[in-house]
Amino acid sequence: MSKRRRRIPVFRLAWRNTRRNTRRTLLTVIAVTIAVTAITFMFAYITGILGNFVDSYARSESGHVRIRKDGYTERERLMPVYLKVDGVSELLSSIREHPDVEEAVPRIRSSVLVDGAGSNRPGLLLGLDLDREGPYLNPTGMAVNGNPPRPGFPEVMIGTEFADRLSIDVGDTITVLGQTAYRSLGGLRLVVTDLAFSGISFLDNSMLVLPIDQAQELADMPDAATEILVFSHDAELAESLAAQLEEQLAPIVEGDIEVLSWLDQGQLMRTMQMMRPLLGVVMGLMLLMAGLIIVNTMLMTVMERTQELGMQAALGMRRSDIVFLIVSEGIVIGLLGGFVGAILGSGVGIWLEHSGIDFTAAARGIDLPFQGMVYPDWTLSYAVTGMLLGILAAGVAALYPALRAIKMAPAEALRQ
Amino acid sequence: MNRMTMTGVARPTVAASICLLALAVHGEAQPTPREILERVDANMTMSTARVNAQMTIAYRDGDVRNLIYDAWAQGTDQSFLEFTAPARDAGSRFLRLENAMWIYLPRVGKSVRIQGHMLRQGLMGSDFSYGDASENPSMVEDYDAVLEGEEELDGRRAYVVNLTAKPERRDLAYQRRKVWVDADRWVPLKEERFARSGKLLKTALLSDVRRVGDRWYPFRIEMDDAMQTDTRTTLQMLSVELDIRVPREVFTLPHLEGGE
Repeated sequence: MSKRRRRIPVFRLAWRNTRRNTRRTLLTVIAVTIAVTAITFMFAYITGILGNFVDSYARSESGHVRIRKDGYTERERLMPVYLKVDGVSELLSSIREHPDVEEAVPRIRSSVLVDGAGSNRPGLLLGLDLDREGPYLNPTGMAVNGNPPRPGFPEVMIGTEFADRLSIDVGDTITVLGQTAYRSLGGLRLVVTDLAFSGISFLDNSMLVLPIDQAQELADMPDAATEILVFSHDAELAESLAAQLEEQLAPIVEGDIEVLSWLDQGQLMRTMQMMRPLLGVVMGLMLLMAGLIIVNTMLMTVMERTQELGMQAALGMRRSDIVFLIVSEGIVIGLLGGFVGAILGSGVGIWLEHSGIDFTAAARGIDLPFQGMVYPDWTLSYAVTGMLLGILAAGVAALYPALRAIKMAPAEALRQ
Repeated sequence: MNRMTMTGVARPTVAASICLLALAVHGEAQPTPREILERVDANMTMSTARVNAQMTIAYRDGDVRNLIYDAWAQGTDQSFLEFTAPARDAGSRFLRLENAMWIYLPRVGKSVRIQGHMLRQGLMGSDFSYGDASENPSMVEDYDAVLEGEEELDGRRAYVVNLTAKPERRDLAYQRRKVWVDADRWVPLKEERFARSGKLLKTALLSDVRRVGDRWYPFRIEMDDAMQTDTRTTLQMLSVELDIRVPREVFTLPHLEGGE
């Protein structure tokens, strides 16, 4: 006759156990709740900050793919307009035909001297296709009074801080001196139609936004630009798009150009990529701390019940069943705390995703593409991950006190 | 070398004359560093000058730009320079009065005043800064000198003089200079210019030394801005007139913005 062991309804028992001492359970559940709330929110928050950087950088600097004259990048600091991409209109229409391309915009970047009311300062000139930049650099959105310069007119919009330093206001006429594509000195007189506020500090301190046709005139480079930025429907496609565009443009391009996806440009994106695992470490540390809180509380809870566990062992309950029971209790507590924590964390995340966190003051003076408002980026997966981590932590945390409990001889446990 | 680029200026001083006299008396005795500077100043600084020159900027990628300008100078700190070729740069004018400079471009139709560190930017993208091209200070007045020795440079005997800006001249773009001075003609043949930190900023080579009136004058100056690694600029004087009469109104804003 086979000796069949009666199965213990562990989960039912665990559930009942958690209700035996509600104060104790509540304490542990609260610990798990706080930890899971923090984890769920931090996921959304960190994603929001990273997204802010990446998004600002893509829209102001890199595009998803950037096309420039070969050799420009190594002299980038000097913003040499003589290293220009020619025949821009033909290139643009070809690029826009590619199915993965959402938009392609030409830009002229150059270093200029801006002369305002008698004083002058070096500035960053941005010649833009104002009609198409809406979703990207968004010149209209930057215009403080809603009056961006008009294509075809000698008009300009100036960074708020920059205008301040030059004592320039709307309606004034400024003189801009800059290098031409022939490396000589060019100049323009422009009327200030508005002040520009981007939220990106280094731009607000130095930028002049003007129609690309005016920038082309200043630099003496008709139908040319210093760069073309390509934006895709899907940022993930950037690398393959860069490779395809390079091939597609080869027959029509004049001279050598470089076609780089945003991941292959400069240090910032690489830094961002490096920051992701680093953030993983930060998250790991947070999890560890949350885990320790849970372990500590669970340990207390189990130690309180040493006598009871000794009794169970004395009555013949198998050690593995005892361990299983305690771990199950941990999981039940993790489930309760994790659920509440995920809801709370999501609530805070979703609320701030809409209202945003204002970092404008902190971002001032930072020479990085970073917009003043940070919007946490919540997704369901963060809540689920947070909850699962909470359950796992509680379960694992219960293991240690459980193993300690069963190590004691039943008699010793009963004596305690 | 400011004094040579646009051509120099500045009155031959009494001190310089006395110094010349002293040298005549003592014959071949080695001059003191101060005497060397005074003789260079006496040779290189004139009351007025008019120069027509070709500026050639050679780029690392093989491009070459040729520009031609006319320049007038008077005293140590007044000068006027106008580009006449190529066509796209013709009419670009620069007026220097003391510490300020005005730039006038025909397209803009209005002058822009620049000063301070902007004067250290390259003139028309060349290795000569606006300051290099428009200043003509006296070495004796601005620098303390130490004679390092003698060297032979391109077959000519040269004194090697180290210059350090006088304490009251902390504003000078080049706080230290090392100058190779032709021992017979009193013309600098080579010069290295440094920042206060000792960092090399520019190297100038002067050659094609010709007689103009009773002076020796370098007709060719090669300038290399160590910070601007892409270029090398050569200035070739096409004609040089020294100590001539220059109308006063040349050095005025109306002339800069207006007309002839």
